[in-house]
Amino acid sequence: MVCSPKVRWRAVSADVLAWRDWDCEVVVFNQATGSTHLLGELGGEVFRRLVGAEGGASVDALVAGLTDEPTGADNADWSAAVAGVLSDFARLGLAEPDVS
Amino acid sequence: MIVAELSNRELEQRLNGPGLRLRTGPVVARIQSPLPSIARAIALQYADYATEDEASFSDFRVRVGRPRNLRRWLRPQAQFFVDGNLPFTPLPLDQAFPMLEWGLNWCVSAHCHQFLIFHAAVVEKTGRALILPAPPGSGKSTLCAGLVNRGWRLLSDELTLIDLASCEVVPLPRPVSLKNASIDVIRAFAPAVTIGPTVRDTTKGSVAHMRAPSESVRRGMETARPGWIVLPRYEAGSAARLTSLSKGRGLMHMADNAFNYSAHGRRGFECLAQFVDRSSCYEFAYGDLEEAACVFNDLAAGP
Repeated sequence: MVCSPKVRWRAVSADVLAWRDWDCEVVVFNQATGSTHLLGELGGEVFRRLVGAEGGASVDALVAGLTDEPTGADNADWSAAVAGVLSDFARLGLAEPDVS
Repeated sequence: MIVAELSNRELEQRLNGPGLRLRTGPVVARIQSPLPSIARAIALQYADYATEDEASFSDFRVRVGRPRNLRRWLRPQAQFFVDGNLPFTPLPLDQAFPMLEWGLNWCVSAHCHQFLIFHAAVVEKTGRALILPAPPGSGKSTLCAGLVNRGWRLLSDELTLIDLASCEVVPLPRPVSLKNASIDVIRAFAPAVTIGPTVRDTTKGSVAHMRAPSESVRRGMETARPGWIVLPRYEAGSAARLTSLSKGRGLMHMADNAFNYSAHGRRGFECLAQFVDRSSCYEFAYGDLEEAACVFNDLAAGP
């Protein structure tokens, strides 16, 4: 349900996360867990967009920002990939769905 | 005063009595031991080190002695105390000096949280630190000993200390622990170097300690700024290969080899990230120590 294309996601508070953006990689430290995560290319891009999106972003909005292609069948693959990244972020305490 | 200025008798009296306050970089250890092998090893390995006077502060009070049990008549043992506690099980008596070295490392890694501490060798040239974070068996100490004998300053062969405020490496120059085949490799590579007796059948195999160069000891308070983070890997017969590594992966390798990085929370991350930001990161495979030293001397000659 939370990975529905319309649900908005946001990065957890900047008080909890610290990060560095190096070329294609983002390294994130989660103060709440004490863990450090190296995000790959897609994960890094999704993280950058979540951090930069005031009020969060939906899967649809994230996919639209990642591809230049018009909405179509290929976007289903992108949506699944982004939903997978967000699910990982939720597990790692880096992002959460806005269920309000 | 340095240890070499003490007579053997004075050294033994201190070790048997109030303790020898030995300064290694930012740390002062008060060492007590009635064992002649400890006195001999300290006289050999720590001759150039400063001793503090008896009234001065010491970070740790350690003692290496023999347990008073029945085994002392059959298979004598040594045990390591720190501030009156026994953190380790006893070891055979001939391993007393390696035990002191391992114990001092443990004291620093378990207590000196004013630093970010990593399990990594570190050397310096042109004011810049070359950090070698790697698991045991990767050739880290051998490469460190090789570089130290080709113009690099020893900061530590085991523990890299990064100052949280300045993000610079704080030296902890101590004897370099050589293991197994590395002992003869370094004897052949640097025949003039002082290597203590080989202790066999330790948990790490055969161990011998290479004395730290005098200049490294003398400059034991001189920090080094970030330079290079290199993941070494010894491969028998391999040509030297230095391959770029992303900063993200460099940071993760440092974090994987950290003792207290998570304990420092965001401050630890920010310090490490700043250090990595100012460093170049590489992977390095080598099969020949002389060739490896050439690669790093070329690296240090660059910008």
